[in-house]
Amino acid sequence: MDHFAITVTDLGKKYDKTWGLKNATFTMGKGELAVLVGPNGAGKTTTMKILATLLKPSKGKAEVLGMDIVKDYKRIRKKMACLPQGFGGNRNLTPMETIRWSLVARGWSLSDAKGQAIKWIETVGLSDCKDRTGWTLSGGQQRKVVVSTVLAANAEVVFLDEPTTGLDVEARHAVWKIIRETVADGSTVLLTTHDMNEAETIADTAVLINDGQTLVKGTPQRLVKMLPYQYRITVKKGEQKSTSLLQINNSIDLGDRVIFYTENYREIKGLMSNFTDLTNVVSVDRVGLEDAYLHLIHEVSQHGKKIN
Amino acid sequence: MVKKLIRQILGVAVLEGKVWQRQPLWIFQGIITVLGLTITLFAWGGGSALRNLVIAFFVTGGWTLGLNIVAQNIGWDKVNFFYEHYVASPITLPIYFTGMVLGAMPIFLVNVIPALIIFLILAMDFSLMPSILMLSVLSAILGAFISLSVILRMKNPANISAITNPLLTLTIMLPPIYYPLSLLPPIWREIVLIVPTVPLMELSRWLVHIPIGYTPILSLTLLLLWLVLATILVLKKLNWGLE
Repeated sequence: MDHFAITVTDLGKKYDKTWGLKNATFTMGKGELAVLVGPNGAGKTTTMKILATLLKPSKGKAEVLGMDIVKDYKRIRKKMACLPQGFGGNRNLTPMETIRWSLVARGWSLSDAKGQAIKWIETVGLSDCKDRTGWTLSGGQQRKVVVSTVLAANAEVVFLDEPTTGLDVEARHAVWKIIRETVADGSTVLLTTHDMNEAETIADTAVLINDGQTLVKGTPQRLVKMLPYQYRITVKKGEQKSTSLLQINNSIDLGDRVIFYTENYREIKGLMSNFTDLTNVVSVDRVGLEDAYLHLIHEVSQHGKKIN
Repeated sequence: MVKKLIRQILGVAVLEGKVWQRQPLWIFQGIITVLGLTITLFAWGGGSALRNLVIAFFVTGGWTLGLNIVAQNIGWDKVNFFYEHYVASPITLPIYFTGMVLGAMPIFLVNVIPALIIFLILAMDFSLMPSILMLSVLSAILGAFISLSVILRMKNPANISAITNPLLTLTIMLPPIYYPLSLLPPIWREIVLIVPTVPLMELSRWLVHIPIGYTPILSLTLLLLWLVLATILVLKKLNWGLE
């Protein structure tokens, strides 16, 4: 079990009378970036909070670096860093102060903390505003500061709860870059997101979670391959023919648009032949993690299928 | 080990205390209040009013630090998820609490430094200072615990200031802190002793030989009762993770 950074077995958390997390089971290797993906209220944050020793589980067992999260929480905390959901940092501080003094609070020496803060400020491109208080920074810049504060600790295990929520594309890419670099340096990172594109892009492993239960775990590529389709076609409804196509099983109604799933290129051509005006075809893409996720949820809810 | 501990406390103190450097008008407001009270009370009550004011500054300084600043900051740290960020790290609750108190020290010093100056001008017995400071610390702890026992039970944590500010005014402006207990009708003297700042002040007055209404044992007993009650109430709600 030494190669596992995190093991979660039948984990659950009850808030009063409601189960916030019903049954989570998965493992995560050392030096891996795993992403917990699922919709709002799926149990991602609860899972992360339990692993970060913020919440006590109501049932099940979890270990971080081979240590029990309830019995050995003090030892685990020495080796972890956590970015809670909604954590925006202290805007009264400059980026330099935030990173430096957060490291000192973890026990770093003043000089080492200063050196590390300078390194991270440069890494995330905040050198120009390192001495400006958070009040004068943009949302993206401040987000980089708080994520850097967590990653700069060089913790063995890092928990990031929705680190890129609300960021524009460029800032999101910058945050992804520093997270991936942290993993390359040997840290284990568990991240939550409801953004499937994010999970597909940066995860080594994705753990799909829905309604308080883990559905499946695997590389994003493996999860996508589990789909019986390869392509996704989005079309405008406009025409009578396209509306009648809604009868096809593999479709999702989006109001004035509809998504069709097909197994191969021949089927795409067949589908296209139904349209007199091809401008009604909005896009033709290969399926991704989001499609796999929707399909898996559908399978579970419709057929009660167990997926591993 | 000790060096690391000191560094951790220092780190939390700087993170929590930078607000006073970046928003110095809070300090300025404190100084003006202290100066205004000193002038007003001296003008109307002379030296004897100032003797009471000096020790009141120590008591209210500690009380403000605990009830309004420390408890409020802990409440805000919970709202802003700083609390969780600290918990899931090598920072322990004693480190966090000590760092938080140190970070809030500027507000305490605004009360205490003028008090020390007046103390020396009035040539009061300086050997009493350690005892007075101990009462000030007790005042801070009690204030923080009482405030936290309320804040941690609030359904809407965004209302923290709306609770702590009136609570502060209620406990230091209305009861006999800046005026003697004997000014109240006899029945009220006993009732107001329930407010923790009153026995704190009575004990402080007793220390510097200002006439008091009741035996200091009564004040001490009431304070101990408050401390036990507030500690129980806080410990029931203030978890350092694993909630």
